[in-house]
Amino acid sequence: MTTVRPPQAGAASGGRNRRGPMITQHSLRRTVRVSLRRCLAGIAALALAGSMAASPAPAAASETPAAENVLRIATDGFVDSFNPFTSFYLVPTNTFRYMYENLVANDAKDGSVTEGLATEWNTDSEGKVWTYTIRPDMKWSDGEPLTSKDVAWTYNQMMDNDEMAVANGSLVENFAKVEAPDDSTVKITLKKAQANNPGQEIPVVPEHVWSKIDKPGEFKNDEKSVGSGPFQLDSYEANKSITLKANPNFWRGKPKLDEIQYRYYTNSDAQVQAIRSGEVDFITGLSPDQFTALENADDVELNDGNGRRFNGISINPGVADADGKEFGTGNEALKDKKVRQAIRAGIDTETLRKQVMQDYAQPATSFIPAVYPDWALSPDNRVVSGFDVDRAKTLLDDAGWKEGSDGIREKDGEKLQLRFLTDADVPTEQSTAKFLKPWMKDIGVDLKNESTDADTESERTTKGDYDMYFSGWSINPDPDYQLSINTCGQRPDAEGNGGTSQDGWCNKEFDKLYQAQHVELDQAKRQELVQKALAIHYEEAPSVTLWYPNQLEAYRSDRFENFTKQPSDGGAIANQVGYWGYSSVEPVSEEETTGGGMGAGGWIGIAAAAIVVLGGGGWLLSRRKKSDDRE
Amino acid sequence: MSANTPAVDGAKLVRERRLNNAKKNWALFRSDAPALIGAVVLLFFIVIAIAAPLIAPASMLDVTQQLDVPRYAPPSLDHPLGTDDLGREMWVRILWGARVSILVGVAATVMSMLIGTIMGLAAGHFSGLFGGFIMRIVDFFIVLPSLLLAIVLSSVLERGVFTIVVAIGLTSWASTARIVRSQTLSVESRLYIERARILGAGHSHILFRHLLPAVMPLVLANTTLTVGGAIIAESTLSFLGLGDTSKESWGTILKNSMDVSAATSGYWWYVLTPGVAILLVVLAFTMVGRAFEAIINPALRSR
Amino acid sequence: MSTPTHDPHSGDRPDRGTDTATPGTDPTNPSPASAKGTADTAETNPAAVDMDEPPAGGSFARYFLRKLGGAATSMILVIVLGFFAFRMLPGDPVLKIAKERPMSPAQIAELRSQYGLDKPVIVQFWDYLVGIVTGDLGESYVYRKSVSSLIGEYLGPTLLLTGTAAVIAIALGLWLGQLSAWRRNSLFDKLASSTSLIFWSVPTFWLGLILLMIFGGTLQWLPTGGMITPGLDPWSPAGIIDVITHLILPVVSLVAVVYAQFLMIMRASLLEEMSEDYLTTARAKGLTEDEVRRRHAVPNALLPTVTVVFLHIGGLVAGAVTVEAVFSWPGLGKLTFEAIRGPDLPLLQGTFVVFSAIIIVMNLAADIVYRFLDPRVRRA
Repeated sequence: MTTVRPPQAGAASGGRNRRGPMITQHSLRRTVRVSLRRCLAGIAALALAGSMAASPAPAAASETPAAENVLRIATDGFVDSFNPFTSFYLVPTNTFRYMYENLVANDAKDGSVTEGLATEWNTDSEGKVWTYTIRPDMKWSDGEPLTSKDVAWTYNQMMDNDEMAVANGSLVENFAKVEAPDDSTVKITLKKAQANNPGQEIPVVPEHVWSKIDKPGEFKNDEKSVGSGPFQLDSYEANKSITLKANPNFWRGKPKLDEIQYRYYTNSDAQVQAIRSGEVDFITGLSPDQFTALENADDVELNDGNGRRFNGISINPGVADADGKEFGTGNEALKDKKVRQAIRAGIDTETLRKQVMQDYAQPATSFIPAVYPDWALSPDNRVVSGFDVDRAKTLLDDAGWKEGSDGIREKDGEKLQLRFLTDADVPTEQSTAKFLKPWMKDIGVDLKNESTDADTESERTTKGDYDMYFSGWSINPDPDYQLSINTCGQRPDAEGNGGTSQDGWCNKEFDKLYQAQHVELDQAKRQELVQKALAIHYEEAPSVTLWYPNQLEAYRSDRFENFTKQPSDGGAIANQVGYWGYSSVEPVSEEETTGGGMGAGGWIGIAAAAIVVLGGGGWLLSRRKKSDDRE
Repeated sequence: MSANTPAVDGAKLVRERRLNNAKKNWALFRSDAPALIGAVVLLFFIVIAIAAPLIAPASMLDVTQQLDVPRYAPPSLDHPLGTDDLGREMWVRILWGARVSILVGVAATVMSMLIGTIMGLAAGHFSGLFGGFIMRIVDFFIVLPSLLLAIVLSSVLERGVFTIVVAIGLTSWASTARIVRSQTLSVESRLYIERARILGAGHSHILFRHLLPAVMPLVLANTTLTVGGAIIAESTLSFLGLGDTSKESWGTILKNSMDVSAATSGYWWYVLTPGVAILLVVLAFTMVGRAFEAIINPALRSR
Repeated sequence: MSTPTHDPHSGDRPDRGTDTATPGTDPTNPSPASAKGTADTAETNPAAVDMDEPPAGGSFARYFLRKLGGAATSMILVIVLGFFAFRMLPGDPVLKIAKERPMSPAQIAELRSQYGLDKPVIVQFWDYLVGIVTGDLGESYVYRKSVSSLIGEYLGPTLLLTGTAAVIAIALGLWLGQLSAWRRNSLFDKLASSTSLIFWSVPTFWLGLILLMIFGGTLQWLPTGGMITPGLDPWSPAGIIDVITHLILPVVSLVAVVYAQFLMIMRASLLEEMSEDYLTTARAKGLTEDEVRRRHAVPNALLPTVTVVFLHIGGLVAGAVTVEAVFSWPGLGKLTFEAIRGPDLPLLQGTFVVFSAIIIVMNLAADIVYRFLDPRVRRA
């Protein structure tokens, strides 16, 4: 067992305080939540869709001194290990994309499938046997040759060994067998045909390294990794830093950066300060407020990237398990699709997007975000309808819910009361709830906002103990997974066993379309099927998609340039599906050194703090003036 | 004490004495400037809390009706205390927040006083194993930091204002119990209790006819002082995200301000106003409480 | 921390101040009220005596053993509470993990047994007890690390923060307190008392937010959070300065609220002491006022103060919860809070037990130190 434990903090000696774990409450939770959704969304993919692509930027030309050629990225993400077989947290998964390649990649332009380890691939007529040709003469970062044997070994590990399937097991679920008939060929035989290329999103590791590890499931892999991607993990210090070094053997050529260093910051405010002062070169995941605040900062370039997530309101359509056995406490009224449609018509999503997201989100239709134009439900589709209070009222009237004396609708003596579950720690959810309540009242629905912690929320939604809740998922370039979790057979039981369902909804027609697109190898035909399926989901309204949030990022333009976005037009830099974001980055030729002098400010601070303590109330008055002076 | 005096004259005497006492106490209170100011501040906040729906109708908190109001507007003539991230007026939020904050403070204190008085009386009056057992529980609650327990309680129970009240009330009674116990012990030793005991008075007679009236003034003064702590505890729990976010309270407003990074983004009014409101009310309760206490316990006045 | 550190009774009155905060120190309390109370107790209610007061003349060993027994009882209560209260928390950790990725029912059952959640509660309780005795607090669900090592990592920063805050608050509070008492009713006294009253009346975290806003946000003199700038070696001179700059704001927030307590207690005990006859004797001997204060009054007034100070250090540790949240200080308070949200049962139990243990030990230390310091008790 090669487990490398992170060094213990100097707890025993009070003074010896290295930075303790820096995962902030929020960030940890966010990471978990994000990874939760990501994993759901395909288990594999974490990042943004696509891949870079077009010109894969080979060759490292200019030699700049090492220290100046280090891209420092602020992070607060949680790391359990860097084992690509077991870790499904956001930061490790993003790192894997730079460390290990897949058989095929998703390009930066629009996330479509492009060459990875394999240069070409084909499938038999029904999409059951996939054959890949591996690029010849590739080398691992340690110089050993990379062959199809490594690919087959990796895949077989995941298929045979449960503990190696923890992170990406579902991606190989449909694999019957994987063989490497020769050094340049990989043949994947599937149990059932599928249109989606099965070679995506599975990090391929070197057999000569991993086969020597006793318990590969417990391997932390946190120093001197061996892979084929553009950067290799050099070292990891828990809650301090993650250092990646450029891989000279990367087949597209050594990246121009020598090093990527993730630095841990406990909270996002500190990260914002750090980019202002030039302590770090790149940050992502900014809130709209923080993003706006950075607008006037010197030498900071902002990137408002279209994201691959959607946020929505899931409406309990009468949840049931895969056999149709109903459970939970969902309001009977919501089984009527007219009521669900009325809820959609009663929500002014445009105002919500502008007010709550401050316009840093894209208008939405269905659950496939607009960054995937091939798949996303077109806003021109005839089923797509907007905010329309009158229509909402008519729908409710038709459904038999008549307005009572207090303005709340009634049917058979029962008031139309619904519960809306939100996470108390997520400001956008709280704000959304504040808007929803009066809007629902306008159409005669008494909405009760129940805000709770993420776990109570997840437990209650699992048990079907909700009427509506705020949901969100990250979507991969291929829509297959997200469609699959909207089918009847994927619905879990009240204990959460059996499968995963986006909204606990079931529709036979949708299922048929899902199956049809699942095996349709013709892209155009498949797109049409997906559009039809999404239209049914939209019309049935088991959930209302509110917006596709943007990923807000910033980098030091005085130090680095040439970041690659995914999609390349208006996409994001971090959290991509692929290794494009930082691989093309190069230092700005005439580099300005960033100011240090932290100490001086500190001492002034000490003096100031002392004044505050002794001075008592004086600061109360002075602070007003100081704050006004700001910027 | 004099309830069983049958003579009409006696009753009149008692009334007069009480009236005189009240007059004297009022004079004492009036002469205490901070207490008077505190009382005025309290009255002000209680009035605005009760009248909040009249002064600022609930629609002023309805975010769908603030779409044209600038978000994060600094204080100005149009927006006396500035606006928040959804364009709501801070002063309206403070006004409505006063309702929950003060209500929770008072309700939690009442609960804490009830438990504290009962436990204190029991610990002081009963001897032997039972009294010892009660005292151990009191000690346990004194030792453990109440915030820690309150956090645990409010995360175990369903979220809401009532939960916060229970969490604070259940964890802050121990010091009251100790004070009550001390007082009980000293009253117990007085002759008239001894006499009652010898005459065959039962536990309940002694507890309710003699001990309770004797500790009541102390408890009441303590109540006023404890409300401040309870209001701060409420804001702390709400700030930690354990409150009911669908209800305005000063702690909730502070949590919102933290959520939008108001402190580092320069929206100082968002952070400042709820805190100042807390400061004023807590200070007011403390001033009034101290004055009450000084009246009840003349020994303190000398210092 | 609001409630315990916001004990309004530690104000002008040493009797209640110590009474409410210090179990078991009543008999030696210099205040007349409480001395009377306990004297009465001894006469009329002998059984009450061995509840928490040492009978006069009791040996130190007996006193110590009884205090130890009391602390042990508290500890047992904490351990029991730690187990059962957290069992009631909502959220099934396994369900949560299962939600992150598709899992078969068999896998879920496997996970449950891995975490010991499939066993009957009583067996889980037994395992938990055995674990505590052997120092094994289980493995955190969220961090996937052993709870003991997590607590080890987070304890250091908390000790640094609260330790620094405690030292400063005690020094500042006692010094200002004795000055206030000595110059009773002077402008200085009024200013010191009202300032501390103001600090006492605000939530600690709000003070933190205000400081953060002024020095972190507006002036940008000091960092807004964390303990050290990433990339710095904490042992290099630059690193040490960096940690100090990170330490300033959280320490000031903690000190501001707590020092008021010490000031008030010190002021009150010194006032009490100043009315004693022996000071008159001392003056009669020709000592200057300053000497009287430094040699006689202050040392004696320190006695009751010390115990309270010890107790408040325990409270200070808990008070770090909100301050650590505001400044993202990587300490135990923050860990506790994260654990509650997890829900991370083993971690929660761990932090709760460790926190409480620290406080119980502090309490015990207060009792023992008091016994050693107070000549009246020693002689007896």
